[in-house]
Amino acid sequence: MRVFLELKWYFIQERRRYSLGILILASVSLLSLLPPYVVGMIVDHIDQNTLTPQILFNWMTALFGLAVTVYILRYIWRIMIFGSSIRLARQLRNDLYEHFTKQSARFFQTKRTGDLMAHSTNDIRAVEQTAGAGVLTLVDSLTLGGFVIITMAVSISWELTIIALLPMPLMALAVSKYGFMLHKRFSGAQAAFSRLNDKVQESMSGIRVTKTFGNEKDDVAAFRDESANVVKKNIDVAKVDALFDPTIMLIVGSSYFLSISAGGYLVVNETLTIGQLTSFNVYLGMLIWPMLAFGWLFNIVEKGRASYGRIRTILQEEPDIEDRRNAVNTPPRGDIFFDIKRFYFFEDQKPALENISIELPRGQTLGIAGKTGSGKSTLVRTLIRDAEIQDGTIYFAGLPIAEYTLDALRSSVGYVPQDHFLFSATIADNIAFARPDASYTEIINAASYAAVHDDITAFKDGYETVVGERGVTLSGGQKQRISIARALLADPEVLILDDSLSAVDANTEEMILTNLRTLRNDKTTIITAHRLSAIQHARQIVVLENGRIAEQGTHSQLMQKPSWYRRMYERQQLESLIEKGGDDL
Amino acid sequence: MIERHRHLMTPLNQKETFKRLMGYAKTHWKKLAIALLLLLGGTASELIGPILIQIFIDDYLTPREFPQNELVMLGLLYIVLHLGAAGMNYVQMLFFQKVSLEIIQSLRIDIFAKVQSLGLSFFDQFPAGGLISRITNDTEQVKELYISVLGTFIQNIVFLLGIFVAMFYLNPQLALFCLVLIPLIIGLMLLYKRFSSRYYARMSEKLSELNARLNESIQGMAVIQIFRQERRMLREFKAVNEDHHQAWLKSIKLDGLLLRPAVDFISIAALIFILSYFGITSFDQPVELGVLYAFVNYLDRFFEPVNQIMQRLSVFQQAMISAGRVFRLMDHDEPSPGQKGTGSPVINQGNIIFENVSFSYDGHEDVLKNVSFTIHEGETLAIVGHTGSGKSSIINLLLRFYPLERGEIYIDGVALSRYNNKELREKIGLVLQDPFLFAGDISSNIRLYDQRLTDADVQKAAEFVRADRFIENLTGGYAHPVGERGTTFSGGQRQLIAFARTMAKAPKILVLDEATASIDTETEEDIQHALENMRKDRTTIAIAHRLSTIKHADKILVMHQGEIVEQGTHETLIAEQGLYEKMYRLQKAY
Repeated sequence: MRVFLELKWYFIQERRRYSLGILILASVSLLSLLPPYVVGMIVDHIDQNTLTPQILFNWMTALFGLAVTVYILRYIWRIMIFGSSIRLARQLRNDLYEHFTKQSARFFQTKRTGDLMAHSTNDIRAVEQTAGAGVLTLVDSLTLGGFVIITMAVSISWELTIIALLPMPLMALAVSKYGFMLHKRFSGAQAAFSRLNDKVQESMSGIRVTKTFGNEKDDVAAFRDESANVVKKNIDVAKVDALFDPTIMLIVGSSYFLSISAGGYLVVNETLTIGQLTSFNVYLGMLIWPMLAFGWLFNIVEKGRASYGRIRTILQEEPDIEDRRNAVNTPPRGDIFFDIKRFYFFEDQKPALENISIELPRGQTLGIAGKTGSGKSTLVRTLIRDAEIQDGTIYFAGLPIAEYTLDALRSSVGYVPQDHFLFSATIADNIAFARPDASYTEIINAASYAAVHDDITAFKDGYETVVGERGVTLSGGQKQRISIARALLADPEVLILDDSLSAVDANTEEMILTNLRTLRNDKTTIITAHRLSAIQHARQIVVLENGRIAEQGTHSQLMQKPSWYRRMYERQQLESLIEKGGDDL
Repeated sequence: MIERHRHLMTPLNQKETFKRLMGYAKTHWKKLAIALLLLLGGTASELIGPILIQIFIDDYLTPREFPQNELVMLGLLYIVLHLGAAGMNYVQMLFFQKVSLEIIQSLRIDIFAKVQSLGLSFFDQFPAGGLISRITNDTEQVKELYISVLGTFIQNIVFLLGIFVAMFYLNPQLALFCLVLIPLIIGLMLLYKRFSSRYYARMSEKLSELNARLNESIQGMAVIQIFRQERRMLREFKAVNEDHHQAWLKSIKLDGLLLRPAVDFISIAALIFILSYFGITSFDQPVELGVLYAFVNYLDRFFEPVNQIMQRLSVFQQAMISAGRVFRLMDHDEPSPGQKGTGSPVINQGNIIFENVSFSYDGHEDVLKNVSFTIHEGETLAIVGHTGSGKSSIINLLLRFYPLERGEIYIDGVALSRYNNKELREKIGLVLQDPFLFAGDISSNIRLYDQRLTDADVQKAAEFVRADRFIENLTGGYAHPVGERGTTFSGGQRQLIAFARTMAKAPKILVLDEATASIDTETEEDIQHALENMRKDRTTIAIAHRLSTIKHADKILVMHQGEIVEQGTHETLIAEQGLYEKMYRLQKAY
C-alpha cells in the first residue's frame, strides 16, 4: 500500500477530483444497501399479509428513484477517478519523454530501447491502474464492505453476520495468493512469448540463409518448439487462472450454507424473520465483490509499486551533460582547436582518444581517415559534446566548448551521422527537420546539393513521399543523402560528415563534394571517411590509429611518403575502377 | 510496398474469418465436447444450490417442520453439488483454455510455414516488421478471441441459459416475463458495440501512434538533439498524447454510460419488476417466499455474466480484425519456384550454362538482357559491375530464388527447373554479402539444422576456411554462444563462420557474393586464404570486389545495365585492351 503514499503528490494535485470521486463512490455504496432492505421488507409484508398496494407502490417508486440516482452517480465517479488516473498516465508519459530528450548518448547506449519502451507503456499502465482501479477497489471494498457488514450486524443479527463471514477472509487470502502465483507464471508466459517473437524476427531476417540451405522445414520445426513452449507456459497460467472462479464459488457457497443453516435456526427461535433471512442473503451476495476486490487490490498495488519504482529511478537519473552555470548562449563562430589529452569511453581502461592536437582555422576542411575503430567517429562526436572529455578540451572561437550552452554549441554544428536515421514522416519533413519553417525552395535546394533531388522526384509522391515501415523503403545511399540534405538546410557554421558518403557511388560522391566546396567555401567542414576519395581535397588530413594521430598532412604530402594513407588510396583507386565497371571504358 | 501486396493490409471480411476460425476449432471437437459437458454439469450444479435453499425455506422453514434425516440429506446434497460444481468448472475452464492455446499453436505454425514457403520475391518487397506482427501479435490477439468466445462467451451464455431454466422450473410465468431482459440486454450490447468499436479503434490507433513516436524518438534522440528539436518533438509528442488521452476519456465515458452502471440500472429495474409481481400476486393468493428468494438470488447472478460479456466485446472485435489479417496472408500465393517435371537429376560436375536469359522484377524494366555464358566444371567465374548492373539477379536466378521466365539455365546439361529443391540446395553453396548469424552457438551456426554433420565435420569445415584459430580462442570454442545476429563478432569473423557453414556441405557449385568493404578487418588475410581454398576443385561464381578473386578467375564477366559488356578469359581480355587490361596493368604497378 506504500505506493499510495508515493503517489501522494498526485492525489494532492488532483484532490478535488479524487475527493469528489471517493465521496460519490461511498454514497453509491451506501445507497446500494437499500434494495436488499426493500426485498426483506416486502417479503415480511407478504409473509405477514400486511402488504398493501400503496406500500408496494411507494417502495417501488423509491427503488426506481434510487436506480436513476445511482446510475448518474456511478457515471460521475468513473469520470472523476478513472479520468484522474489516465491524466496521471498522460503526465508521466510526458515527463518521461521530456526526460529522455535531456539525456546524453551514454544513457541510450546503456539502456535498451525495449526497456525504455516498457517503462513508457507497461509500467505507466500499471501505475495508472493503481491510481484508478486501485483507488476504486480500496475505497469500494472498505466502504461497501464496511457498510454491508455493519448493516447486517446492526439491522439483522450480529451473531449470524459473524458465522456467515467466517469463510470470507479465506477468499481475500486465496485471491491474493493466486494473484501472486499468476503474476509469476504470467511473467514466464511473457518471456516465452518474447522468445517466440525473437525467433520470428530472426527467421525473417535470416530468410535468405534459410532458403539458401533449403532449411525451411527445419526452421518451421524450430518454430514449432518455441511455439509449444509458449503453449506450455500459458497452460501453467491457465492452471492458476482457472482456480479463481471455483474457489470463490466454494467459499461463497459455504457462506450461504452457514447463513441459511444458522439463520434457519434463528428463524425457528423467532429471533429472525424469513424476510430478514432473505435480505441477509442478498447482503451476503453483496460482500462477494468487496472481498474479491480486496484480494485483487494487493496485486494491483504490488505491480503498481514495482512499476512506479522503475519509472522514478529513470526520472531521477541526472543527465550527465548539462549546461554550466553562466554558460555562453551565443552560437560560436571561429577557429577550432582540438586539444584532447585523453578521452575515455565510460569506464573503459584504455583511452579512446589520446594526444589529439589539431588546429582547424575557420572555413577550412578537415579530413579524418583511419581503420574501423580507430576513433574517427569518437573524435568528431566530442565536438558536439556527445560525451565529456576527461582530460583536455576543444576550443571553439577561443572558448572551451563546455563554456557554451548545449543549445548554442549545437546550433553551430551540423552533424550527419554514420547510421542515417530518418523519421517516419515525409521526405520534405525529414529534410526540414532542423528548420520546420523552411520553404519548399530551400528544401529542394538542399536536396539538390545532396544529389538526391532526382531520386526524390522519381517517387510518385515526390517530396511528400512518406518514408519508413509504412511507406517507401529507401536505399542506404538515398537515406544518407537525405541526411546530408537535412544538415545542409540548417546551414551550420561547422558541418560534420561522419562517414556519411559510404553508401553512395563514386560519381555521386564527387558531385556532393563539389557542391559542398562551392556552398561552404567560407565555412568549416569536417569529413571522416573510409573511402579516401571523400577527403583527398581537404586542406588538412589526419589519419587516426588506436585513438592517436598516426599521420597528418595534405593529400600530396601524404602521398609522397610510404604512408598507410598512400597504400590505402592506391588500393581503393583500383577497387573503384572495378566498382565503376564498364562506365569508364 | 508494391501493388501486389497491398491487399494484405486489409483484413478478410468478418463472416469468412469466423468460418475459418471455427474450422480450426473443429479438429478439437472431442475436447470441446467434453469441456462443454463439464460446463453444463458445473453450471447445473451451481444453479441447483438456490433451488435447494428454496426447498428448505418453503418446505421446512416456513411450516417449521424439521425432519432430521431429510435435512441432513439436503445439506449434504448442497455441499456435494458445490464441490462437484467447483471441480467441474475448474476442469472445463482449463480445457477451454488448453484448446484455445492449441488452436493458436496450429494457426501460428500454419502461418509461419506459409510465410516460409513464400518466394524471396515476397520478402524482398514486404516489410519484415509487418510479417513479424502477423505471426506473433496478430495471432496473440486471436488467442484472446478464442479465450473470449470459448471461455467467457460460451460459459456465460450457458450460465444465463441455466438461470432461465431454473427460473422456468420455479415459476414459468414470471420467467417468461424475465425473458424481456434478453432483448433489452442485447440492445444495450449492440449499442455499446457500435460506439465502442469506433472509440476503441481510435484509442488503439492513437496508442500505437504514441508508441511508434516514442520508439522512434528514443532511437533517433541523437538526431533530435544535434538539431536541437527537443522542444518541438516534445510538443508534438504531447499533442499525440493529448489525442490519446481524449480518446481514452471518451471510452471511459462510454463505458460509464453503457457498461456496469447501465447493467446495474437494468438489474434494479428487474428487481422492481419481480417484487411487484410477487407483491401483486400476494393480494389474491399466497406466494412461495422461497421462490421469491431464489428469483432474487438468480437475478443477482444474472448480471455478472452480462457484464463479463460486454467487457469482452471490444477485445472480440479487435481480434476479428487481427484474424482477418492473418488469413489474408495465409491466402497469399507467391510461392518459391519449385521443381517442374518428375525425376531426380543429380549435379555431378557443375557445368553451368546461361542461355539468352532475360529477367525483370516488375515486368516492365529488364534487369538482365539476353545474358549468355558458360562455366565448366571447376572453373571460377568473376562477375564485375556496379550496383544495379544485374550481378545479384544472376545469383537470384541461379539459386532459383526467382522464377526464370525467359531463356534457360542448364546445370550439367539439365534445365534448372528440373532439379528438385533438395538437390539444388545441397549442391549449390551461396555465401552472402552480409553473413547472417543465428542466436545459438558457433557449432549450431555452422551445422544449421543438419544433424548428419558430426562435431568433427564442423571442425573440419572451420579448419578448411581457417576459422578454427579464432574459434578455438573463444571461451567454450565451438560451443561459444552467439547472441542476436552475432553482433559480438567482427564482420570478418562472421564472414568466416558463414564460409564454414557453406563448406560443411561440400557443394559442387560455390556462389560468392563478396562483401564490399571489409578491407581493414584483422581477419582479412584469413579470408583471402579461405577463399582460395574454397574455390579449389569446384565451379565458382563470384560477384567480385576483391582483386585477388578476379586475378584468379578463369573467366570474367563485366556487367553494365543488365548486359554483359565484356566477357572472356584472362588472355582474351588482355588482347581486347578493354577494362580488364587496364586493371591488370594497374595491378602490376601496385
